[in-house]
Amino acid sequence: MNVLEIKNLTKKFGDFIAVDNMSLAVQEGEIFGFLGSNGAGKSTTINMIAGLLQTNGGEIKILDKNIASHSKLAKMNIGIVPQDLAIYEDMTAYENVRFFAGLYGLRGAELKERVEEALVFVGLLDKQKSLPKDFSGGMKRRLNIACAIAHRPKLIIMDEPTVGIDPQSRNYILTSVRKLNEMGCTVIYTSHYMEEVEEICSRIAIMDHGKVIAEGTKEQLKAIITDTRDIWVEVKNTENLEEAALKEIKGVNSISIEENVIKINSQSEVNNLNHIIQFFISRLIEIRSLQEQAPNLETVFLTLTGRNLRD
Amino acid sequence: MNIFNIALIEFKHTIRDVRTLVFMLAFPIVMMLILGTALSTTFDKNIKIGKINVLYTEKTDISFSSPFHGFIKEAKKQDIHFKKAPHGLDGKKAVKQNHYDAYVVVTDKGVQFYGSERNSIQASIAEGMLSAFTDKYNLITEVAKEKPDQVQTVMASVSTTPGSYVKETSLNADKAPGSMDYYAVAMTTMIALYSAISASNLIRGERIRNTAVRLVIAPINKMEIFLGKILGSLALNLVCIMLVMAFSRFVFGADWGVHPGMVLLILFTEVFLAVSFGLGISYIIKADQGTRTILMIILQLSSFFGGAYFRIENADGILRFIMNLSPLTWAREALTKIIYNNDLTAALPVISLNLGISLLFLLFAVVAFRRREGL
Repeated sequence: MNVLEIKNLTKKFGDFIAVDNMSLAVQEGEIFGFLGSNGAGKSTTINMIAGLLQTNGGEIKILDKNIASHSKLAKMNIGIVPQDLAIYEDMTAYENVRFFAGLYGLRGAELKERVEEALVFVGLLDKQKSLPKDFSGGMKRRLNIACAIAHRPKLIIMDEPTVGIDPQSRNYILTSVRKLNEMGCTVIYTSHYMEEVEEICSRIAIMDHGKVIAEGTKEQLKAIITDTRDIWVEVKNTENLEEAALKEIKGVNSISIEENVIKINSQSEVNNLNHIIQFFISRLIEIRSLQEQAPNLETVFLTLTGRNLRD
Repeated sequence: MNIFNIALIEFKHTIRDVRTLVFMLAFPIVMMLILGTALSTTFDKNIKIGKINVLYTEKTDISFSSPFHGFIKEAKKQDIHFKKAPHGLDGKKAVKQNHYDAYVVVTDKGVQFYGSERNSIQASIAEGMLSAFTDKYNLITEVAKEKPDQVQTVMASVSTTPGSYVKETSLNADKAPGSMDYYAVAMTTMIALYSAISASNLIRGERIRNTAVRLVIAPINKMEIFLGKILGSLALNLVCIMLVMAFSRFVFGADWGVHPGMVLLILFTEVFLAVSFGLGISYIIKADQGTRTILMIILQLSSFFGGAYFRIENADGILRFIMNLSPLTWAREALTKIIYNNDLTAALPVISLNLGISLLFLLFAVVAFRRREGL
């Protein structure tokens, strides 16, 4: 069953087409990843699903109900974790969750139970009487999640939920996403962190210029990359490195240098490894290690869009 | 229920914002104390008269001279000093030169009185006493002519002491605002008007905090959000105003009259006007800082010309016109009439005006709110 179904969705801001005739479906029980650089149309799409923006065409269905005609029903089944924190700094953690859960019709003992359940889930029950302004960034992010899940939505949309937090909190949130999924929630997850998406998402859509340019499991996406490979060479120093000469080696598409690691993207069908090694030896550049990288989502994204995800 | 929950959260926000609370409560109270104390003399209802000097010239026979001198003698006890004009002195000129408060010429035909324009109060008192004396003299003379046996009865019935010549009668003599009374009303109406500032941030605040997202994605009507926010703002500002009123009443002893319900109704409509105005302006002027600046200018001018800082008396022409544009003037003048003259009819125009203008701004805000994507 499709929890979310989008058909021919379009959104324009003046002459700029933010979302261009986009279609996709998210099935029940999935953790669906949305990948795209800034301006790709992810947030606009999410905002239209949430009802924050009007569409300029197309159709959005939540649990088989069109949100245009069943807005209230659709909203009851969605929980959103916005990229920017959406909490009241001057209200306690408990008051925050209670207020937002109350907007979904929860009252009395049921409301209290759900609020405590959400706070337990994000590990903030012992801080329920504290004000968020005294929280760390990670704790605020967790409260941001609690406010979105207290009403037990069937679809949770998380927009960059791990931005700017410490690794411990990030792990906590990723574990929480998995737990929510195990509890029966379908999750749409957007992130700039490719490794997060790769780690938790069962299916991924790559967006560029308002369109879904690729969609599938991570294995299916990586399988797209058959014509190039990445070779990473770690050297002692890069003083004698002539980038132009390296690029002239047959089959090399591009190179990038990060500290002492030279990342070479090369055509798969050209066997040029010997030439590359010879290049370094002839220039007395000491090689410390050399490895051929398995394709990852970053490579997929780069190959499909010609840009890095964080450009 | 959602409207109530949103109103409650709005109420809590403001009550936990120390800066706003200090502004809404401490500011008017401190201003009341400072202005009410510093400008208390301009509201003093007592005028010290002191010694009254009257110059007189006597050109009469003995029949009037005797009672007139008796009157002068009694008048001296009341600190009204009659001095016979030396020969050759121009009495009128002496009064003009402010050497005397009045000049009296007594002849067989009557008494002529010239009062000082500079010391009009002193002159009026002397004139009043003198005319009362002459009336009584005429009355007794007439009675003596017609029924001489009744003279004693008439004389007994009218006191001849100068202290009883003039009896002051004033409507509501004690019901006029003192400085603290005036500033209690002025500051309370001013702070009611300042509700516009917090109101301009009602919806914008949710956008800035990003909590607008959560409100919009919740399964509630946008109008519930709108009404809840307004209700919370109205309730909070009304509570603040009631606290300021109570403080001014019980600590400063300010007079709020005997119609507290009507007073509160006027203040409520003024808060309603301010909230609607603030909200409307926030949709007219999109920029955050611009809204606040424009509001502050309008509110400060309204406060100044509405008499919040200084009482503007006897204004007419363009000044009166400008004063009448300030909602503070409407509310303050209506409240003064209700408190000091028990004139409840003064409430109707100001309530109608406040509600009418409120509805206009509210209508504009509602249309803008509904047309906008999100909040």
